[in-house]
Amino acid sequence: MSIQIYDPTTEVKSRTINFVPRPKSLKGLRIGLVDNTKHNSDQLLMRIAAILEKEHGAKSHVIRRKKSAGSAPGPEMVAEYKANCDIIVAGVGD
Amino acid sequence: MIELKSRRHTVDDLGSAIELCYANGWTDGLPVIPPTAERIAAMLEAGGLKPDEQLSFIENRQVSVTAEKVAINAVMAGCKPEYMPVIIATVRALADPLYGYHGPATSTGGSAVFMLVNGPIAKQIGMNSGDNVFGQGWRANATIGRAIRLMMQNVIGTTPGVLDRSSLGHPGKYTFCIAENEEDSPWPAFHTTRGFKAEQSAVTIFAALGVHQYSNGLSATPEGVLTTTCAQMRMSAGTNRQPQYVTVFAGEHQLIMQKAGWSREDVQNYVFENTRMAQAEMQRANIRPGPVTAETENTMQTLVHTPQDLLVIAAGGKAGVQSCYIPGWGGKNGSQSVTYEIKKP
Repeated sequence: MSIQIYDPTTEVKSRTINFVPRPKSLKGLRIGLVDNTKHNSDQLLMRIAAILEKEHGAKSHVIRRKKSAGSAPGPEMVAEYKANCDIIVAGVGD
Repeated sequence: MIELKSRRHTVDDLGSAIELCYANGWTDGLPVIPPTAERIAAMLEAGGLKPDEQLSFIENRQVSVTAEKVAINAVMAGCKPEYMPVIIATVRALADPLYGYHGPATSTGGSAVFMLVNGPIAKQIGMNSGDNVFGQGWRANATIGRAIRLMMQNVIGTTPGVLDRSSLGHPGKYTFCIAENEEDSPWPAFHTTRGFKAEQSAVTIFAALGVHQYSNGLSATPEGVLTTTCAQMRMSAGTNRQPQYVTVFAGEHQLIMQKAGWSREDVQNYVFENTRMAQAEMQRANIRPGPVTAETENTMQTLVHTPQDLLVIAAGGKAGVQSCYIPGWGGKNGSQSVTYEIKKP
């Protein structure tokens, strides 16, 4: 006799996420840097910011540190980025 | 009959069902119980749940964990329906922002979900809190932890090598679930330290690294036993990171605490004070960055943030002079233990 079993996995539901269009140039833009708390991540991000400012004309940068690597930036941090930044650099790992 | 929404698969027989679960990557490497409609319905009924009820939402993964999926994974793990209240409370706890699911579940520094069950339900469902407490042999201990891991893998997507990036893994990822030995404990049940009453049941979850066993058969005083505890813990996986730690005291060490009238707080305070380490020592061991200076030589750092970050638990066999400690994953800022009430429907 046959047996019917049920799928234990989450069935993926697709949804659309609207991304902000990428800027054509970084000239005059304000950079937001997300420090994920990993060792040296701030130093790496500051070097990236220096390159973006010197070589690509970015205007300024803001760096903020998350509570921990595994958590998302808190609402206050997100609000600060929204108010003061045009682009964000995130995703630094170990 | 309860209406289930999950995709169905029809197979010829029991053996084929088990093999299909393997083929689809739904197991932890061990065979699973095929999740049939009757078995899933029994789980949902025991939990007092409707299939589409959301038990938790994992923010970082944007995954809704529904009762139906939890029940399916509980069946596969080999749980009895009466274990469901423990599983439900644990699934809810996993989504607590203080626990911070994403970090400990995903990190290369991989952890296992240590579960401590307190209150009347532990005995009612036959949980082990004594001999071989972290070992095999008890269905509830073996399958409740397994159900949680299967659910993490199958429902939340915490799959090894994909969104579970643990470098070394952890044997507790098969199961890591114990009860406290409340009967013989020198202290009030652990969950009463988290605001619950002794007659309530509760589960505490903790993102755990490995179990470190140590032995002290030479001491007849709390200070003597804890000297060994502290010597072992001072330089351990959490040194400098300041996570929480679990410390489990087994039978003979429990008795020593009891005879001397040492409270849980006494133990916490002693271990807190005697596991401090100079920052320079951590630097020399390459677990703290920066150059050694006069200041770091003279700055003593505690192992954990506060004495309450030492989770003091009574469990294990009555015979023997063994106890253990379990460092938490990462630091307390990234994950901390949380305790949730286990409610029967």
